[in-house]
Amino acid sequence: MKTTEEKNLKSKEIISKGREMQAGINFIKAVFLDIFLVFYTLLLLERVIYYKLILNLREIPFSWQQIAGVFAVSVILGTAWTFTRTSLSSRLFKLHRDNKVTKWTVEIFSWLLFDLTFIAGWVVTRISIIDLFSAGGMQGAERIFGAMFHPNLGIFDDALAAIIETIYLALIATLLSIPPTFVLSFFTARNLMKDNKITFAVYYVLRIVFNFIRSIEPLIWAIIFSVWVGIGPYAGMIALLVHSIASNAKLYSEAIEGIEQGPIEAITATGANRVQVVWYAVVPQIVLPFLSFTIYRWDINVRMATIIGLVGGGGIGTMLMQYQGLARWHEVGLIVLMIAFVVWVMDYISAKVREAIY
Amino acid sequence: MLLKVQDLHKVYKSGTHALKGINFEVKEGEFLVVIGLSGSGKSTLLRCINRLLEPTSGTVEFMGQDISHVKGEELRRVHQQIAMVFQHFNLIKRRSVLTNVISGRLASMSTMDSVLERFSAEVFADAYKALRTVGIEDKAQERADSLSGGQQQRVAIARSLMQNPKLLLADEPVASLDPATSNSVMQYFEKVNKELGTTVICNLHFLSLVRRYASRVIALREGSIVYAGDPKDINEEWFKTIYGEDAVEVEIR
Repeated sequence: MKTTEEKNLKSKEIISKGREMQAGINFIKAVFLDIFLVFYTLLLLERVIYYKLILNLREIPFSWQQIAGVFAVSVILGTAWTFTRTSLSSRLFKLHRDNKVTKWTVEIFSWLLFDLTFIAGWVVTRISIIDLFSAGGMQGAERIFGAMFHPNLGIFDDALAAIIETIYLALIATLLSIPPTFVLSFFTARNLMKDNKITFAVYYVLRIVFNFIRSIEPLIWAIIFSVWVGIGPYAGMIALLVHSIASNAKLYSEAIEGIEQGPIEAITATGANRVQVVWYAVVPQIVLPFLSFTIYRWDINVRMATIIGLVGGGGIGTMLMQYQGLARWHEVGLIVLMIAFVVWVMDYISAKVREAIY
Repeated sequence: MLLKVQDLHKVYKSGTHALKGINFEVKEGEFLVVIGLSGSGKSTLLRCINRLLEPTSGTVEFMGQDISHVKGEELRRVHQQIAMVFQHFNLIKRRSVLTNVISGRLASMSTMDSVLERFSAEVFADAYKALRTVGIEDKAQERADSLSGGQQQRVAIARSLMQNPKLLLADEPVASLDPATSNSVMQYFEKVNKELGTTVICNLHFLSLVRRYASRVIALREGSIVYAGDPKDINEEWFKTIYGEDAVEVEIR
């Protein structure tokens, strides 16, 4: 049996050792970040400021050798900069020297980064006030707005059928997403999974998979599934379903992570098993947030379903795409008005329902 | 001897050494009160006894069995025999008082029955009996969070009674209640202790309550026991040892 003092000493040692290691890791991170920041700055300076703004070239020359050269310079400059401990990254990781030099370098460099990024963004987007207000531009605007104010009501029946298809498609995608999301969200809730190594591994893998699925827009999923199951509402529905599961699993599991721990502790203390604890202490706390997220998801899905139609996901979007391709602006006008109306109504209803259940 | 704690240490992952060699015993039928400042280790001690926490070293002996490192099914049996009441009541807010009380019996139900909420007539009868003991039978169908603080704590006591516990732990059960309600809630603990013969270990802040309800008291300071004995023997001097030099005793009645 160790004495109290020995135990205290040991835990203190572990803590101070941990701190040292953390500082070491942070220093390495700071070096990499500084190299990246210098590289980014030099590239922008060269390509945007020098080539585009000073030389005013139309095409920016591109060569891997040149970029490698800039990178080599950045590695040297960046590393040297971190070692002076006055760099931006050393400030971020709290390894900096606390003096005026650090203060000024950090301030100046931060502004430089922000300004360069803004200028680069401006140049890349090819912002042009002239295009917006030129005679040709104004003509186009007149054409499209004119058509919208005189929609062709002759295709109203078809458009109505298409938009109903869109609403149902979104509804089915949302409904089908509920059971799998409900089950999976428990496996992606950190507070339920962190205690055991195996469950934590499951949590980790699922999180990565969901993040991956979610980072791919439903539009892309619709393209994939329209090739897989053929163009039409079914492809659009699966695309929305996949995206809904991944997105709502995140929201659901965040709701689970945010619940009060007290009831869980209390039910555990009665000797209940894990399933009972989840059913009695977790589920009652999450039913309403889940319901609210799901209704909101339906609302989002209706909006997305109109877009998904553009790439062959069926519904009103597909119809819009066809008339737009034929440049029949009066028909396009009607469809756009109908989409706007339905989205507005859905938004209103979902907000009201969510208000009511809370 | 119902409970025997020997050289109990608890070191948290963060490095905090919360308990530093605690030794004490509890006889059946006692009303033991643990006092001490916030952060002195009172809550940690209770949670090591009913094994919501695992002690770092030392032993906790409950009814002759060493429970300090039990796991799985055995741990659940320990949870079942040692009930606990919390400072913030920890009820299931959106469910009825009755369901909350019944949730104290989950350990002896099958998972299927409890998920489908198929409770036997006996469970219902016991639940009403427990509610009668704490005097809020008429609130059975109401939502738990519609009750006042004192009533919610009484529901929590009723829930713990459903476990038919050998030992009842109470972690600052009246710390978030007003003085008058505190006293009435403490009276229910006394009733459970005297009438049902359940042993009680209770963390408290107010010495006036300690003197009134405790049959014995231990005082913790920075994870060690600094006083153990009769509550009536705590004088000014002991008070300063336990709560620090600047402390002044406040009365609540």
